[in-house]
Amino acid sequence: MKRLSVVVVSVALAAGGLFALAPGETELEHNGWFRYTNTSTSFGVIDPDASRFELARGYLRLKHQWAPKFETKLTVDIHSSEKYAEGATVRLKEAYLNFKCTPEMGFTAGLQKHYWSLIYSWAYVNPFKALADAQKLVSSADYGLTYGGYLPAGWGEFQAGLYNGEGYKKVGGDVNLSPALVGNVRVTPIAGVKAGVGVRYNAEVTRSETSTDRNVLGIAPMVKFAFGPFSVEGEYLVWNFTNETTDTLGAVTSTDYAEGGFSVVPLLTLAKRRVEVHGRFDMWDYKMDGATVDSKSLMRYGGGVNYHFLRREKGKPGVALQLAWLRTQKNDDSEPVDELMAQFRFEWMTVIPPPFGG
Amino acid sequence: MKKFVAGIATLGLLFSVAVNAGEVLVKGSDTLLNLVQRMSEAFGEVEPDITVSVTGGGSGVGINALVNGEIDIADASRLIKSKEIYSARENGVNPTQIVIAIDGLSVIVNEANTVEQLTVEQIGAIYRGEIKKWSDVGGPNKPITLYGRQPSSGTFVFFRDEVVKGEYAIAMRQMNGNSQIVEAVKSDETGIGYVGVGYLREATGVLALGVKKGDGDYVSPLDREKVYAGLYPLTRPLNQYTNGSPKGEARTFIEFELSEEGQQIVEEEGFFPVTADYIESNAEALGE
Repeated sequence: MKRLSVVVVSVALAAGGLFALAPGETELEHNGWFRYTNTSTSFGVIDPDASRFELARGYLRLKHQWAPKFETKLTVDIHSSEKYAEGATVRLKEAYLNFKCTPEMGFTAGLQKHYWSLIYSWAYVNPFKALADAQKLVSSADYGLTYGGYLPAGWGEFQAGLYNGEGYKKVGGDVNLSPALVGNVRVTPIAGVKAGVGVRYNAEVTRSETSTDRNVLGIAPMVKFAFGPFSVEGEYLVWNFTNETTDTLGAVTSTDYAEGGFSVVPLLTLAKRRVEVHGRFDMWDYKMDGATVDSKSLMRYGGGVNYHFLRREKGKPGVALQLAWLRTQKNDDSEPVDELMAQFRFEWMTVIPPPFGG
Repeated sequence: MKKFVAGIATLGLLFSVAVNAGEVLVKGSDTLLNLVQRMSEAFGEVEPDITVSVTGGGSGVGINALVNGEIDIADASRLIKSKEIYSARENGVNPTQIVIAIDGLSVIVNEANTVEQLTVEQIGAIYRGEIKKWSDVGGPNKPITLYGRQPSSGTFVFFRDEVVKGEYAIAMRQMNGNSQIVEAVKSDETGIGYVGVGYLREATGVLALGVKKGDGDYVSPLDREKVYAGLYPLTRPLNQYTNGSPKGEARTFIEFELSEEGQQIVEEEGFFPVTADYIESNAEALGE
């Protein structure tokens, strides 16, 4: 027979708390990924250019609560990059103002999440990129104005917005002049079931002086099931557009592109959420004027395990080791490409109180 | 590599099963902390085979732990938000509300203060920083020092939504718990704070203000009949959330909290027993 054991712990929190900032407070967060990637062909010849240590992510975030209804966020990514002689660079990832019209709905203006497909909620439990990112359809962040929030009684979330449409990495002449319209909704009709769809339309995307994509339409239904420690999340992406290319004589050639595919990620969480075992299966089909292009159609599969030495929570530091493998097999006769990844994630945050008062 | 992964997974399974047997994990609201601790002590005398572990941290902390499947019961002095329900459902968790007590959230001042009552509107203006001196509300010609909770606290959220109706003044001193607010106001003649009524039970050196809303009368949070009749403007339910209708040992504990003995403890701790409306909704949540 066990004796009664009552444990009373009053957790002393840092000024500011965990889930919302008080006016005047600033949240400072760092999020780093130290990664080793080994890329090989059928586990054979190792490509030295793609087998290396790197700091794949080095997010430094500042979120400031001006008032209960206003907050701003700035995220820069200080990471390894082979594009520069110094071997590293700084990239702007987020910079926006959020204005809440109600406690759980509001406008966001600036460089922000791109609310289409799983890319915006991809938490890198599987450390490889989400399908829309891997297929280079959209970027995870873009410049835009959105309205969104949470539906009453926990029914779901929604966003509607206008974006530049070319992601956060382009500047100058590459900036798209035809904005993209994005609508997204996800609902949880019952516990353990989430379903949603995102729709994105861009009338015109200029690729070069002689090449333009027209009527770029993306549709992204998703679903997630969760039963105790097991969950499975998947999405189906449709990406259609017409490319118009003008030759030197001024003649215009139109080509219809139809891309699409799905991604499924099963996940088993164990040991009080310290261990995650995950898998992944993707299919992608690429068609030009109705004919499949085997060199761009592919299948991906793999899996991995994550061990959380410290579980990342809002307001707590986190340290995790991720080990994963992903094989990409194109439909043509090329050898499959295998990526083995080992990654340490280290993340922390703190709240800086207002300089006056408090 | 394969052995390493298999080893971690096996250990994890064994560990996760072994720790929770016969244990109820409760986490969340600081306002509920003392009350639920008392409940668990009394429960231990009735059900010695069941261990109840109670931790604080704030309503938001407790709800987040429930959303992540880390605990059995989340204590919350505020209602769960849409965003939290959505996150919970996504994880296969169905937050279900049980009201275990009623609180008259009390606005307190130092016993040396001559102010005995305020309107909700005056209190809101004080906490927004618009009224800065006690003399503006009939008190001494002294500045007002604000004491409140941190944003992770359900009481912080409830008071902001129901009283402040805007932005807390930046000068408000954020305290970690109700007891700290009582102690701070007790030692500060210019102080004002807000705490769960249960924290006034043994408090000395502070006074609970009568509070009036609109055309109503001033009502003290210690006036049981008027709080029960819904005449005290800052009456609120004190909640526990579980994943679906409570089951097993967590259900046994909650049934004890709602029993005559449990509700007697509620009164002994200075809070008020559950009212008829909540008795009905509790029965529904328990599937009775």
